[in-house]
Amino acid sequence: MTHRHRAVALAALLVGMGGMAAAQDTYTIGISNTVQGNGWREQMICAMKAQALDSGKVASLNIAHRNTDAAGQLEDIRNLIQAGVDAIVVNPANPEGINDAIKEATAAGIVVVAVDQAVTEPSAYVISNNQEEYAYLGAKWLFEQMGGSGDVVYMRGAAGASADDDRDRGFKRALEEYPEINVAQEVFTGWQQDQAKQQILDFIASGIPFDGIWTSGIDNVIVDALVESEVPLVPVVGADNAGFVGQLLDVEGLQGAAVTNPGSVGGAGVALALQILDGQVPAEQTVLVTPELWDNASEDGRAKLEGAQNPDLDPEWPVSVSIPGWTTYDMAEIIACKGPGE
Amino acid sequence: MTRTLRRSGWVLGLAALLAALLLLTKLIQPGFGASGIESLVRAALPFAFATAALAVVVIAGGIDLSVASMMAVASVTAAVLMESAGEAATVPVVLLVLLVGIAMGAINGALVVWTRLPDIVVTLAMLFVWEGVALLILQAPGGAATPWLRQLIVGPFPIPGLPEGATAFLPKSLVVLVFCLALVWLPLRRSRLGLSIYAIGSDPTAAFRSGVAIGPTRIAAYGIAGLLAALGGLSLTLSTGIGEPIPGPYLLAAVAAVVLGGVALTGGRGGLLGPILAVLILRVVRLILTLLSVDPNVTTIIEGTIMAVVVMLGGLLAMRERRA
Repeated sequence: MTHRHRAVALAALLVGMGGMAAAQDTYTIGISNTVQGNGWREQMICAMKAQALDSGKVASLNIAHRNTDAAGQLEDIRNLIQAGVDAIVVNPANPEGINDAIKEATAAGIVVVAVDQAVTEPSAYVISNNQEEYAYLGAKWLFEQMGGSGDVVYMRGAAGASADDDRDRGFKRALEEYPEINVAQEVFTGWQQDQAKQQILDFIASGIPFDGIWTSGIDNVIVDALVESEVPLVPVVGADNAGFVGQLLDVEGLQGAAVTNPGSVGGAGVALALQILDGQVPAEQTVLVTPELWDNASEDGRAKLEGAQNPDLDPEWPVSVSIPGWTTYDMAEIIACKGPGE
Repeated sequence: MTRTLRRSGWVLGLAALLAALLLLTKLIQPGFGASGIESLVRAALPFAFATAALAVVVIAGGIDLSVASMMAVASVTAAVLMESAGEAATVPVVLLVLLVGIAMGAINGALVVWTRLPDIVVTLAMLFVWEGVALLILQAPGGAATPWLRQLIVGPFPIPGLPEGATAFLPKSLVVLVFCLALVWLPLRRSRLGLSIYAIGSDPTAAFRSGVAIGPTRIAAYGIAGLLAALGGLSLTLSTGIGEPIPGPYLLAAVAAVVLGGVALTGGRGGLLGPILAVLILRVVRLILTLLSVDPNVTTIIEGTIMAVVVMLGGLLAMRERRA
C-alpha cells in the first residue's frame, strides 16, 4: 500500500494537483454485514462497492460479510479496527448490541456509519430506510384496496430482527385505523423465499378464505403460489424487488403495490462516510430515506413501476438501485459489483 | 502412556499453531498487540463455552445439537431478568440462569435416555424447542446487562504488584474463561462421575458391566453441557449488553472446534484444552482473513479447508504412530 501511496503521490505531483489528491485516494473503508446470500443484502454490498469505486477516493474495501449475530458483528468490527480502516459502514445486527465496538471505533478516530437500521450509540452516523413507514404505507394501501374489511395474511420477516419489529409497529398502526380488518394468519418467513412459498401453499390448502396478503419483501414467490394454485388473485403488497415489479406489470388480474426499500442505502452510507472523512459533517446524525409506494392500480403508480423495471436485475434485487443525492454510480457499475482494486 | 503422549502432542501442536498464527498476525499488522489479543479472546468467549459444552457430551458418546439454542435461552433469560430485577439482583439472576442451563441440559439428556432415540434426533428436535422458548421469553433483541458484570470481561486483568505493561497481555475475559472452565472441569475429571462419562463414551457395554449407571451418567453429561451453554449465553449478553432470541452460529463452530481440538466424535477421548485452543485458532484465522481483506465469499472456504487439512494431518500422524 505504501508503494501504491507513493506512486499515486508522484502521479498527483506530476499533474500538478499537489498532495491533497494523494491523501484522498488512500481511504480504506471497512464494511460489516451479518446476512449473507440474501438478494437485498447482496445489492447493498454491491452498492457499497460501486460507490467506493465511483468516488475515486477509496484505495480498498475491507468487507466482513457473513451470517452471524450481534456478538459476531462485535468481533468483525473489532477486527476492522485492528485492520486500521478510516471508516466503517455497518448494517447493524441490532440497534444496541454492537454499541461497544462502535464506541471503540469512534474513539480510535474511525468514522462509523450505520445503514439500513439505526444504532443507539450517539457517536455513529445513521442513514437508513424508514422501516416503520415502509410497513405502514403498504398496509394502509392494502386495507384500502380490500375495502376496509376482510381477512389479511400477514407474512412477516425474521422473528426477533429489529427491522421486522419496526415494520410490525407500522403494520399495527395501519391495522388500528381499519378495525374491520382481521389478521387471518401471521407467519414469519425468515425472509426466505422457499419457506414463504411453502407457508402460503399450506395456507391456501387449508381453505381458510383471505382477501389480501401483506409481505415483508418476500413477494414474487407468493404471487407464483397464487397463480400456480389457480386461486382467485387477491391484492398483494411487497417490496420493489425486480421479480415482483415485473409481476405487477405482467400478471393478468393481479392488484398489488411495491414499497421501495433500496438496498442501495449501502452506497449512500459509503458516500456519507467519505463526506465526513473529507470534513463535511452533516447537520443531522440520522438521515432517514422515506419509502415510496408504487401500485399498479393507479396510473401514476403504474408509470413508476414501468420506469423502474429492469430485466437485467436479479429478481430478488430491489429495482431502486440508486438513491438520488447520495449515490453517484450508474446501473452498469452496480450490476458489475466491483469495488476498488477488483 | 502413549495415549497421554499423543493427546498432549495434539494439544502442543495446536498451541504451536496458535502461536504461529499470532506471529503471522503481528507480521501482517505490526500494530497488533494487547488490545488485539483482548478483543480476540472476548470474541472467542461464547464460542469457547459452546465448544466446551459440546465437548463434554461428545466425550460421553453423544452429541447435542441444541447448544446454540440453549445459549439463546440463557442469554434472553439473563437480559430480561437483569433489566427488570435491577442491579442488586445480579448475582441471583446469574445463578438462576446457570440453573436454567443445567435444567435444559438435563431435559435433553433425560429425553435421550428415556426415549432411546438417537441423540442426534432428540437434540435436533430440542434445537427447535429451545429456540421457540427463547422467542417466547423475548420476541425481539432487547433487555439489558448489569454494567459491572459487563466490565468483568472488558480490558486487561490487573495483578497487584505488577506494572500495567506486564499485565496488558492478560485479558480479563481469558481469566474468566479459564476460571469458569476450571471450576466445572477440574473437579469433574477427578470425580467418579468424570470417569464414568469417559467410560460410557468409550464403551457403554463395558462401562455397564463395570457397574456404571449409564442413564444417570448420560443425563449428568448433558446437564453439565447445559451449564456450560448457559455460561456461553451469559457471555453473549455480557458482550452485547442485550439478549438475542435467535441463536447465533455457535453450533457448527463448536462441532468444528471439538473435532479440531482432538475430541473423538465416537466418544471417550479428548479433553477441553484442545478444543479451546482450536476455538482461538479459528478466531485468529478470521482476524487474519479480515486483515488481508480476503473476499468474504472465499473466507468460509478457506476456514473450512484449514479445518479439513489440520484434522487430516492429525489423522495421518495418529496412523503413523500406531504403525510405529
